[in-house]
Amino acid sequence: MDVLDQIGAVREGKMSRRAFTRSLAAAGVGMATVPFSGRKAMAAPEDQATYFTWGGYDIPELFGEYQAKNGELPNFSIFGGSEEALTKMRGGFVVDVSHPCNQAVPRWTATGLFQSADMSRLSHAGDIIPELTQLEGNADGDNLWMVPFDWGQTSITYRTDLVEIEGEESWDILWDEKYAGRLGSLGAGADAWWVGAIKAGVDFDNIDTPEAFEKIAAVMREQRPHIRVYTDDTTTLEQALASGEMVAAMTWNSSATLLRAEGHPVRFAQPKEGALTWVCGLMIHKDAPNLDRAYDVIDSMLSVDTGKFMINDYGYGHSNAKSFDEFDEETLVGLGLSKNPADILEAGHFQKPQTQEFESKMNALFEQIKAGF
Amino acid sequence: MSTESYIRRPNRPLQVYAIIFLIALYIPILFLPLFSFNDSIYVSFPLTGFTLQWYEELFQREPVWAALMNSVKVGAATAVLATTLGIFAAKAITKYRLPGQNAIVAFIMLPLVVPGIIFGVALLVLMSSLGVTLSLYTVAVGHVIICLPFAIATLIPRFEGLDPSLEEASADLGENAWHTFWRVTLPVVWPGILASLLLTFTVSFDEFIMAFFLTGTEPTLPMYIWGQLRFPQQFPSVLALSSMIIAVSFVIVFLGQWINRDAHISTVRK
Amino acid sequence: MTNTNVTLNDAAVGAPPVRRRGKFAGMLQRSETLRGFFLLSPTLVVMTIGIVIPFAILITMSLWTAIGFGFDTTLTTANYETALEQPVYGALMHRSLVISGWATVATVLLSYPMAYYVAFHVHKNKMMWIVLMTLPFWTSYLLRVFAWKVVLGYEGVINSGLLWAGLIDAPLEFLLYSQQAVVITLAHSWVAFAILPIYVSLEKIDRSLLEAATDLGDGPVARFFRITLPLSMPGVIAASFLIFIPTTGDYITPALLGGPDGMMIGNLIQLQFGPVNNWPMGASLAIGLMLYISAIGLVFLALTKVFKERMA
Repeated sequence: MDVLDQIGAVREGKMSRRAFTRSLAAAGVGMATVPFSGRKAMAAPEDQATYFTWGGYDIPELFGEYQAKNGELPNFSIFGGSEEALTKMRGGFVVDVSHPCNQAVPRWTATGLFQSADMSRLSHAGDIIPELTQLEGNADGDNLWMVPFDWGQTSITYRTDLVEIEGEESWDILWDEKYAGRLGSLGAGADAWWVGAIKAGVDFDNIDTPEAFEKIAAVMREQRPHIRVYTDDTTTLEQALASGEMVAAMTWNSSATLLRAEGHPVRFAQPKEGALTWVCGLMIHKDAPNLDRAYDVIDSMLSVDTGKFMINDYGYGHSNAKSFDEFDEETLVGLGLSKNPADILEAGHFQKPQTQEFESKMNALFEQIKAGF
Repeated sequence: MSTESYIRRPNRPLQVYAIIFLIALYIPILFLPLFSFNDSIYVSFPLTGFTLQWYEELFQREPVWAALMNSVKVGAATAVLATTLGIFAAKAITKYRLPGQNAIVAFIMLPLVVPGIIFGVALLVLMSSLGVTLSLYTVAVGHVIICLPFAIATLIPRFEGLDPSLEEASADLGENAWHTFWRVTLPVVWPGILASLLLTFTVSFDEFIMAFFLTGTEPTLPMYIWGQLRFPQQFPSVLALSSMIIAVSFVIVFLGQWINRDAHISTVRK
Repeated sequence: MTNTNVTLNDAAVGAPPVRRRGKFAGMLQRSETLRGFFLLSPTLVVMTIGIVIPFAILITMSLWTAIGFGFDTTLTTANYETALEQPVYGALMHRSLVISGWATVATVLLSYPMAYYVAFHVHKNKMMWIVLMTLPFWTSYLLRVFAWKVVLGYEGVINSGLLWAGLIDAPLEFLLYSQQAVVITLAHSWVAFAILPIYVSLEKIDRSLLEAATDLGDGPVARFFRITLPLSMPGVIAASFLIFIPTTGDYITPALLGGPDGMMIGNLIQLQFGPVNNWPMGASLAIGLMLYISAIGLVFLALTKVFKERMA
């Protein structure tokens, strides 16, 4: 910025060109030698844990306890999708805590990049809803690879004023020719492909078979011309729903909650075929540089205050049973939640971990379908 | 003097075009400040009401400021380093006939041919195999590599336009190479250097793909914004931030103009 | 152009008295080549670390195959065969070049008069104009792409304007999530990269040539086509390369504005390194893209050479 001022000074003859160049060189040397530490006047950032997570989880509301104990927020690093995160960590990026979902746990642990969490070090461990800890591939003796944090559904958010529902809500909305060009979908195979499986009537136990691939691919190809946009960016879907550009889209709970809070006439459908359900949580890196604070991060996120915020503002389920005490049943039903997560998770189709080969094959095929092939 | 007037005569249609061009250039960007004052977390018309809420929120969001500072640091360091390297390289390329010169130029320009994502991944693998922790330094290294071609491409036309007889004259007067460069070459190529600094700073400041792979725990501004795009509650404060960047830039430009209001151009050439 | 400079230099080499200071300095003084390489060396070291090593990794990796999280490091051209066999790769490659080509043409054509205006018709505050034209690029690329979404969007500026004027009854949906949207956004985003090189080459033109042409009776149009345009071609060519090449690999703009039909090869490459998790395939596609771009670049260069020779 002061480069511009200096240009002015040179032009006015206030500063010789030589002096200008000298000051520029000095600035360059200064820039190159000043250590790149972003924040001043705080406990050195390297003392805080680093939490590698989705955007939106890097806010003080989730870290009240952590802040009270350590004086500052943890450091945040943001990813756009959990596969992106894994790619980066496999490339050597070291963090303390990261945030995958149940379906990815066995694959994440198989990379050898993580350590299981010692539950005895978490003060809120006793309040965790037990069903959420019993996930496939999650137990390591008494330890857990992934400490459950949030859970929810992938379903359809639709405009009640623009979509006519005959009979029960159904995934058919997203395949309805009537709304061609006004439908949206999440872009990640981790959501969309599984929804395709529900629509095609493929049992999740058989999702990794050639027949299943064929059936789901056929369903996805049928849907593709109707879809205005595939995106991992929920803001895009929310804005399109708010404006009426889209009448219905595949989303997570939070989109419907946020749109309703803004006063838009939307509903988070409970499709008769069942929604897609998932549990996400926290994993600790094997080389976590601040292990004690990694546990502080997790413990803080399990707290009731954090849970209330997650339920009320984002519409996600929380893993701490006590977080739900503040809400009456009606509110929870309105959010598509329940004090009994099993009710929701089992009513829907709960994602099952698959092999890395499945993920690669599925994503490659799904990307081709999205591109129109 | 009369011949001068042919060229100096104002060209009305071109002037109108220039103004339309600038308007078209700025209009999409000016929607950002417009919506930063809008009382809705969704960026869509019609506007719902005026609010300063997002700015208040922004001031409380320390990570935004940290990200901005990170980007400025990386951008400034990248601009200075890439331009410095670029000056030496452009000088060597234009002044001397070097064996394999075309191959060398092609080699330096290669990052332009390679999608940033490839360099990002390859550099990430390189850094991790060398055991280098990712930080703003690694981002700056990546940025210098992709900015160097931009710096050199901007500087070469300048150095090509340099009249070699000036340098020879200086050498004849007994000045050593360094003084010749300092007194003769630099003043002539100065606009190119400035353009190069602006260009490389811009490239670095905007750059997302390399930063995506090479950022450690401290995000650059584009990285931070990318994370925020998914969560609309925070998006208006990001709009507010970008509006402030625009506003500050405007103020600086205005100040520069004000300082220069009496300055008469003494053309660099001729 | 460079050649004439070099000849002049060569002629002058013997002229300056060689003063002996250390051995190395003496050698530098005597040898043009050594001096040249000495100046180039810092850049070459940086670029070697930044290009040769990553490239070696990239080429090696393109010959591997992915299994799960690991790689089968037996060398094979299987990835390249897949890329040639499956229509999706070729089609997206082609589409990327078409989109980037249109964006390049649009940017250069629109920017040239602007650069011309600043170079020839702005006499005060030239730097101010340059700053004005580059200023928008101080804002984040992502936000600019997002701003275009607001302009082209369903309830965006264009649609609400047309609705208000009564020209349309319902918003135009094709504005957003289409290839046009990508072209417009790329053209807008890369304006600075067209204006700066063109401006620099226009500034360099010796004004006395223009005066001479005028004295010989050339009108403004003839003067422009005989002198200004040919002499500014280096800037135009530089601008075209600076825009065309990086935009073919872009994936953010198509991801945010292209919709399913606006997807480009960059998206596919990025996906191989992300969710698809087939880095070797991604490396092969990247190399394929580079070869494709290089081929087009060479054709373009050959054409300009022919053009230059015909001019001379």
